Amino acid sequence: MTRDTLDHPGLPPAPAHHTTPTRPHRPTRRPTRHTRAAVALLLPFLTLFALCFLAPLGYAVHESLHRTARTGPLGLGGEHDVFTGLTNYTHALADDRFLTGFGRVLLFGAVQIPLMIALATTLALLLESASARGVPFFRTAFFLPYGVPGVIASILWGFLYVPGISPLVTLAQTLGWNVDFLARGTVLWSIANIVTWQFTGYNMLVLIAQLKAVPSELYEAARIDGANAWHTARHIKLPLIRPALTLTCVFSIIGTLQLFAEPMVLRPLASAIDSGYTPNLHAYSEAFVGNNQHLAAAEAVLLALAACVLSFGFLRLAGGHGTDRR
Amino acid sequence: MSTHHLPRRTLLGTAAATAAGLTLAGCGTGTERGGPPRERKKGQRITLTFWSWVPGIDKPVDLWNRHHPDVHVTVEKVSAVNGQQYAKMHAAIKAGNPPDLGQIEYPVIPGFLLDNGLRDLAPLGAARHKNRFVGWQWQQSVFGNGIYAIPQASGPMGLFLRQDLFDKWDIETPHTWDDYESAARTVRKKGAWIDTFAPTNGNRFAGFAWQAGATWYTTHGDTWIIHIDDGPTRKVADYWEALVKQQLVKTIPDRQNAWYKDIQTGAVPAWLGASWGDALLAGNAPATHGNWRAAPMPQWTKGADAQANWGGSATTVFAAATYPEDALEFALWLNTDPASLALLIDGGYGFPSAKKGYTTTDLDVDKEFFGGQHYSTVFADAGAHVDTRWKWGPGVDTLYQRLGDAFTDALGDGSSFRSALTKVQAHTLTDLKDKGLKVESGG
Repeated sequence: MTRDTLDHPGLPPAPAHHTTPTRPHRPTRRPTRHTRAAVALLLPFLTLFALCFLAPLGYAVHESLHRTARTGPLGLGGEHDVFTGLTNYTHALADDRFLTGFGRVLLFGAVQIPLMIALATTLALLLESASARGVPFFRTAFFLPYGVPGVIASILWGFLYVPGISPLVTLAQTLGWNVDFLARGTVLWSIANIVTWQFTGYNMLVLIAQLKAVPSELYEAARIDGANAWHTARHIKLPLIRPALTLTCVFSIIGTLQLFAEPMVLRPLASAIDSGYTPNLHAYSEAFVGNNQHLAAAEAVLLALAACVLSFGFLRLAGGHGTDRR
Repeated sequence: MSTHHLPRRTLLGTAAATAAGLTLAGCGTGTERGGPPRERKKGQRITLTFWSWVPGIDKPVDLWNRHHPDVHVTVEKVSAVNGQQYAKMHAAIKAGNPPDLGQIEYPVIPGFLLDNGLRDLAPLGAARHKNRFVGWQWQQSVFGNGIYAIPQASGPMGLFLRQDLFDKWDIETPHTWDDYESAARTVRKKGAWIDTFAPTNGNRFAGFAWQAGATWYTTHGDTWIIHIDDGPTRKVADYWEALVKQQLVKTIPDRQNAWYKDIQTGAVPAWLGASWGDALLAGNAPATHGNWRAAPMPQWTKGADAQANWGGSATTVFAAATYPEDALEFALWLNTDPASLALLIDGGYGFPSAKKGYTTTDLDVDKEFFGGQHYSTVFADAGAHVDTRWKWGPGVDTLYQRLGDAFTDALGDGSSFRSALTKVQAHTLTDLKDKGLKVESGG
């Protein structure tokens, strides 16, 4: 292909060019200047990274290794933190509700992520197919729900789920179907519906971006070889958007583990959602209702670890299949 | 005062505000706070910030500001959904930038004490004002020698019912819990449900237990003794479990959209609520105007007069307040001045903690909604017979959450409500130990 000639237009000139005597006056200072430039350019990123990522992470780990000790009659005398090792972690891992919440989001992910990614891929392929009409309109329309903040989306869907208010429930009941979107068995899938509604369009857009990057010569070649639209999609488009699919899957895995706004907003409406419905909600409840930041920090660290293991596990899985192409 | 005293139309706004509140909780509010307490110099102008959710609180505050130009009070509304206002206050205390004054309910006062979040008002001479307030409500914020809040309102419990429907269905107002159960059976036969057992409503369940004679928290020396699994509470749990198992009550959350709809349509024609429920019903079911009545809570023993309280809150001064004396002066004025009380009553804040400055008939704000009934006398009587042995302990927020989770589980897997109490008792002991407290199980 033409990749070698097209690629690397932006690379800096090879080091050999630098040593040519075009600028012989300050040969010794050049490396310093480079280092300084690199530092200057990296500094904003590193500062923000340290401030917004490393510092909170370090603080969370620190908090998770301590507990509050109180003194005085009835504990009202005062409080201070004492080191407690991994007690908070064993405590979190011994909490049934926390573990059940983990199981719940895993189940959620196992069902919802494949569905959503399949839907996003289908929409992306349809919009990028040669015979698609009204592409800008539909692309925007599908993407629009992503612009609605999660809390608002949950409130909106909440109104559509609550019996007595929801036109959907009323309609179903007049048709003789007694549906309850907020019951114990259904509410998880009602949440899955909100998440799917919100993020399918976003994932679709990521996939479309990658589809746009496929060189048109490939399609031309396929057409000449007699491939129809289905063959093109199956054998050219799908394999080539593999990196984007991997990316959207990893984002979805992380997003699923962090599920919070939807159950939080629906909780007052649905008796079935308890305080540890998802691991994040559990940590929130511990921190802000139970006022036990130390345990919450331990749970947050565990959650981050789980997200790490699952994301990298998935990357390895996806990458392992893909190595033969490189 | 109720934490959930909200018309459903405010749901959207509240949720959005909550989201914003959670984000902003960690940020400063621009007012300089947190320094050592200072005395205001004569003529010096200061601004105090006050976090509250009470409907209509702005009016008495405006009145205060008109008469006290030097001490300006700014109200910042906080969300009262699911205790989110306390999450915000705890976070602000932790971050070192709480407001000067806050509205907190009696049950959560010990929780804030553990944070060292409240200023002890005793050294400022608060004890002088003790006799201006109803005794048991004053005691709710007294711990040891400290006085940690000025009581504002309480919520004596009662039974609200749709008199028109009860008449139509030939049901007499239930006087005992047995009457209530047979009334529930008749209501169910007519296609409605007498009430809902909202598994997550720990506040109301605590009220039921309180009425039955439970004491969940006691102290012995410097140790907290926990008795959530005591005899009276078991009696209450068994009773409601029977109603749920016979499907005589719904199990949907109360004071949420679906419940408001049921209240509007008569699908739920009664509610075991509290005095502040008048505004809630009148505001959310306007079409049922004139059909509601209030009655005393059903009794366990015929002819008894055991009453309970649901909600009730106090005005507190946070420990980080720079001008605690002025804050205390405002808190006292807000909760005792007749003009302020009149405005608060008008807004529907609950049953005044102050002894003087109003008459019971002033509280019949929604008299026409209750068909001309002087319904406040029902709650005034209830308030006078509240069991004063009841005391709150630390971690009530967590306790409510544990109760909610345990009842949710019980409704889900059909296990007994008693096993839920056993679980909550065990959890609460662990929770309090985790907080670094000395705790013992009182059975």
